[in-house]
Amino acid sequence: MEELLKWKEQMRSTKKNRITDKITQHIFLGTALLSASFIFIVVGIIFVQGIRPFVTDNQGLGSVNLWSFLTGDVWLIGATFASNLYSVGFIIVSTLFIALLSLLVSFPIGVLTALFIAKVAPKPLAKILRTVIETLAAIPSIVYGLFGAGIILQVVYDVSALFGYQSKGGNSIISVVLVLALMTIPTITAISEVAIRSVDKTIEHGSLALGASNTQTNFKVVLASAKSGIFTAAILGIGRTLGEATAVSLVAGGRRAGISFDIFDTTSTLTTIMLEGLKETTGLDYDIRFSVGLVLMAVILLTNLLLNSVKKRVGSVHVR
Amino acid sequence: MKKVLIALVGLLTLTLAACSQTSTSATTLVTYDGSKNITVYTRDTTSGTRTGFMEGIGFAEAATSDSVLVTGFLIKDNTAILNALSIDEYGVGYVSLSSVNSTVKGLHFNGVAPTEANVINDTYGLKRPFMWMIRPAGDYPSTTVEQIVQAFIAFLATSDGGDIINNAGAIPLPSTQTWDQVKGNHAVCNQNNSGVVLRIGGSDSIQKVAEALTKAFTPKCGNFSAEHDHTGSSDAYKRTNDPAIKDTSVGKDIGFSSRFFRGAELTVAASIRGQLAWDAIVAIVHLNNPVSNVTADDLKNMYNGTYRTWNALINR
Repeated sequence: MEELLKWKEQMRSTKKNRITDKITQHIFLGTALLSASFIFIVVGIIFVQGIRPFVTDNQGLGSVNLWSFLTGDVWLIGATFASNLYSVGFIIVSTLFIALLSLLVSFPIGVLTALFIAKVAPKPLAKILRTVIETLAAIPSIVYGLFGAGIILQVVYDVSALFGYQSKGGNSIISVVLVLALMTIPTITAISEVAIRSVDKTIEHGSLALGASNTQTNFKVVLASAKSGIFTAAILGIGRTLGEATAVSLVAGGRRAGISFDIFDTTSTLTTIMLEGLKETTGLDYDIRFSVGLVLMAVILLTNLLLNSVKKRVGSVHVR
Repeated sequence: MKKVLIALVGLLTLTLAACSQTSTSATTLVTYDGSKNITVYTRDTTSGTRTGFMEGIGFAEAATSDSVLVTGFLIKDNTAILNALSIDEYGVGYVSLSSVNSTVKGLHFNGVAPTEANVINDTYGLKRPFMWMIRPAGDYPSTTVEQIVQAFIAFLATSDGGDIINNAGAIPLPSTQTWDQVKGNHAVCNQNNSGVVLRIGGSDSIQKVAEALTKAFTPKCGNFSAEHDHTGSSDAYKRTNDPAIKDTSVGKDIGFSSRFFRGAELTVAASIRGQLAWDAIVAIVHLNNPVSNVTADDLKNMYNGTYRTWNALINR
């Protein structure tokens, strides 16, 4: 009899638990749907706004030609508010060029710093450096922009003058690359460091036991085993360089025509072209910035897909 | 551990030393080389300052078009142009008079120095208008708000309002009336308006002036409160008269613009828009630049690419 009562009691509590589980499940589903729908709403609105210049006649200006928009090398031919000849072809190229250059600067520095913190530095120093890197990663981009406008422009201007080259007040690709590299090094370091620290100790010990030196082990075994995580760091780094607007616009110089690969020449990125004048403008000149936003999203998506496929090919733990 | 730290500190000092060395040597040792290219700095095509400047130098088509400018120009905002001209010895740019400081050299325009006094006595020619626009009659949150707006616009045209505009760095239009003479027409100012809010927006170049004006006018008109939200010249029209926007949460009772109204903005009745002041624009160069006076044509020739080097101006 007593046991039966106990059993009944148990059943009741399990039932209660089940109901609570159901409720929490539904709450979680609700929040997930909410956040997911925000993404759809944002992308949807930008998409609707962004294709408007191509499908409407833009209050008499005529629709923008999609092909010449994507391939042209002058931002706007003719007068603002009176012309529909917009194009971002050259800006797409310079955006990718800048992202690549800044990754070339920040990736080796970031990964080697991470290796130093994770494997080489004595514990207390590693702790300090880790805090420093985390702090740097948390600094808002506008602060890096101000540093760029105040210090990097002057240094680039003076250095190029030393070589007899007249730079335009330091506003140049190299300044943008330096600012972006400064911004991405902490991100790359922080993520690579986690990846390096999570490398299985037995692999490392195996390498050391076979007679490899510490340096050989670090480069050939540790970095090789952590390459998947390090690649993730690079992907996030490139995401940050492609998406940064404020800091870049302070040092880019606002180029409006022509592709230039001269690192001392001025430049524009998709983000700066969206930002400059955004607050003041109307009509097509305003709507076209949403189209640039669409192009930017497409560029980021394609870059990420490409890098992810490369990452898959590179594989995770695979030591030679 | 210690060795590493010492090495780090040493490296840091070396880098800093290298940085400071390069920046001082280049600015002090290099003499001015007029054969260098002129670097042209400009605001973007939506800027009211750009419109004011380009129209002022007789190059109006460049106000909204980048295609007519010399190739290789740079687009920057107000502060960034000031910053750039403190670095770039061969640059030329323009900013509003109130933002000129000692880090750059303000050029005389047609022989007249860019000073507030010369703007007030109307000898300095390079200036742009400050305009206001209000909602259509009867289209306000309440009649009290409408009456206060009317009183405020009347105040702008008095010498009392002019003094405030003057103090805020712009030049008011000439006025003969004082507020005491016209306040009889605005009975609303005799009552307590402390619960009433006026929504003010438009050009951010005018924000300083507009804030000074409402601050001075509030005690004269029943202590109403003013809510300033300045987003750009185009919003002067959009947020007061554009049917799609004026009744949304960003709608305004008074909008300011730092350029003359244009296009659709001119369809608004003339009685609910007008001018309150002038703002002066100054062409600026690096402190090392020997040029100190320019004409409208000089500036136009620099901006359209006829003059490529500073010698074109120095060797005249």
